[in-house]
Amino acid sequence: MSVIQEISRSKRTVSPRRKGDGRWALFFLAPWFVGLALITAGPMGASLYLSFTDYDLLSAPEWIGFENYSRMFDDPRFVNSLQVTFTYVFVSVPLQLAAALGLALLLDKGMRGLALYRSVYYLPSLLGGSVAIAILWRQIFGADGLVNQVLAIFGVQGQGWVSHPDYALGTLMALNVWTFGAPMVIFLAGLRQIPQMYYEAASIDGASKFRQFRAITLPLLTPIIFFNLVLQLIEAFQSFTRAFVVSGGNGGPSDSTLLYTLYLYLKGFGSLDMGYASAMAWFLLLIIGGMTVVNFLASKYWVFYDD
Amino acid sequence: MSTNGLRTGRGKRLAASTAGIAAVALTLAACGGGDSGVGGGGDEPPAAAEECPCEIRFAWWGSDTRHESTQQIIDAFQAENPDITVVPDFTDWDGYWDKLATSVAAGDTPDVITQEERYISDYATKNVLADMSELDIDTSKVDDGVLAGGQIDGAQYGIPTGINAYALVADPEIFADAGVDVPDDTTWTWEDYVTTANAVSEGAGEGVWGTQDYGFNEAGLNVLARQRGETLYTPDGELGVSEETVADFFQVSLDLMENGGQPDAARTVEYQAAGPEGSLLGTNQGAMGVWWTNQLGALTDSSGHELELLRLPGESAGERTGMYFKPAMFYSVSADTAYPEASAKFVDFLLNSQEAADIMLTDRGLPANTEVREGILGDLSPTDQKVADFMADIEDEIVDTPPVPPHGSAEMADIMERVNTEVLFERITPEEAATQFIDEVNAAIGG
Repeated sequence: MSVIQEISRSKRTVSPRRKGDGRWALFFLAPWFVGLALITAGPMGASLYLSFTDYDLLSAPEWIGFENYSRMFDDPRFVNSLQVTFTYVFVSVPLQLAAALGLALLLDKGMRGLALYRSVYYLPSLLGGSVAIAILWRQIFGADGLVNQVLAIFGVQGQGWVSHPDYALGTLMALNVWTFGAPMVIFLAGLRQIPQMYYEAASIDGASKFRQFRAITLPLLTPIIFFNLVLQLIEAFQSFTRAFVVSGGNGGPSDSTLLYTLYLYLKGFGSLDMGYASAMAWFLLLIIGGMTVVNFLASKYWVFYDD
Repeated sequence: MSTNGLRTGRGKRLAASTAGIAAVALTLAACGGGDSGVGGGGDEPPAAAEECPCEIRFAWWGSDTRHESTQQIIDAFQAENPDITVVPDFTDWDGYWDKLATSVAAGDTPDVITQEERYISDYATKNVLADMSELDIDTSKVDDGVLAGGQIDGAQYGIPTGINAYALVADPEIFADAGVDVPDDTTWTWEDYVTTANAVSEGAGEGVWGTQDYGFNEAGLNVLARQRGETLYTPDGELGVSEETVADFFQVSLDLMENGGQPDAARTVEYQAAGPEGSLLGTNQGAMGVWWTNQLGALTDSSGHELELLRLPGESAGERTGMYFKPAMFYSVSADTAYPEASAKFVDFLLNSQEAADIMLTDRGLPANTEVREGILGDLSPTDQKVADFMADIEDEIVDTPPVPPHGSAEMADIMERVNTEVLFERITPEEAATQFIDEVNAAIGG
């Protein structure tokens, strides 16, 4: 009893100071809150409002209700941009995660110069979103680019990859796969978390390396895989710079690289149809939100938490 | 004594601050008066409404050389008009329209705006631009046909800076290498164009082609349409080109590709994206290409060859000639500028001052003001001289200036590019392309 009383008393004596701390905390957080309100929440609210209007930037917005939203599905370019984006996301993200996991497993062997390799493979993640890399990509996959020069050595006549509607999206997906560094580093950290004793026990039982991977590594890594999957899906849905630069800003050739955000930009600033673009932005939020919810629901069936 | 002194001291301070407040109030009132005078549009005499020293903002797009020369022009203007400060506001072409649209949306429209024919209708119909015929700008030295290029519904929303023509650029060296004569542009037809290009490709061998695809630019379609007595856009802002003409236009590309006169589709798309410097002509890989005359300089520089300007094919074979002078850009004035007079004065200087023209030369097209154009002829580089001569040659053949493209025409470039790519990769036939093109453009300019 007395102990409890003492604790509760001590709590009471602490609480006024805590309150003061809270005020200070708020004070120090204020710049962040102001930033959130002015730079994030404010514009988001404004775009939600604009999504229900006809707004061309040059004259005042005009309320039109849900027309922007209903118009979307009669717009063949919108439907096409959805197809392109889903193809891009669902092909490149699994490949990217597979590459990241594969390399993480290799690097986890504790080889010499690990830190160097880790940095080298992480580099594309830092650069991958940049304009410079996108321009480089254009060169590499051009008609007389590096890829075709290598192919020519083997006597294969290559294509102008970025400028052919059948292959242009492929080069963008390759670019996304190539930026596997960020998930790789997270995988590496995850691999380090798996206790060595499981592997020791398994090898004493005579389990092969592959069996060990399937029975120990993979299940224990599922939370990390899940985390990476959610993160990369969200990021892939929002890809913009690559498509913008590689296609020369219009999603070409013939809309084959018209990612969702690129079409949104073209609508907003090219056609000055900012109401429609705002509606598209909110629809994208719904898509990404929906995907993430599905992801979390599905995770119950395959993600294994070790505690 | 001491209290008295204090009182007087306080009294003085009070008087001083009262005077200060009054001064501020008066200034505010003056500013308010100035603003309302502009907004009301002519209740007061404009001279009283506008109080300089004042500051106006001039927005333009372009390259570094243009930024430098424009700054020199601004300096010259300010030397003549010390009470007006011109603030430069420049960016490259790609960023320009994003920036302009957002500035207008934010109520921060530049006072003097550089415009382009694809966008001017959008801005004019949304009341962003002032009717410049009501401003004090001397346009008497500008050809009426050229001036009409900036008129919409009878109002002068833009004054052409200069003129360009869409012309065929040829590389005589590559023609010579291929053993083909440079065609006579006063008589040649579209069929001649195809056969010439095919012959050059055959004669010049691997890696060199007759011509670069012309199907990405609607100007070529406009010329073909005009040769047939049609027009890309009618004065009422509708599409004035027939499906047959559009289909024929795309068919030329296919004929060229089939017989090697131009590169395959994927290469063509790549060259298209590479600009003048990376084009077939620019890299000595092709004998012909269709370009705006102001691009001759860039093409010549990167090719290192003496390039020539030719009339487009079919000028003599059609119902009439199709080539025309396009306003390179427009000077426009914001409808809600606080200083319409200062802005007008600046535009007048840009347009009519020999000093400005001597600095600008042909950077904003061959000057629209024919008097200052004469004045700069002696100072032109050999390439610009060639352009000036070519323009003088075709001047008498030109029938009229096409009307200003309607609201929504900014999307034309995008539509053209998509449809042409589909045709080149043979995903649709030229006939299907024509239908798709007309549907999409109608949707863009109708909405």
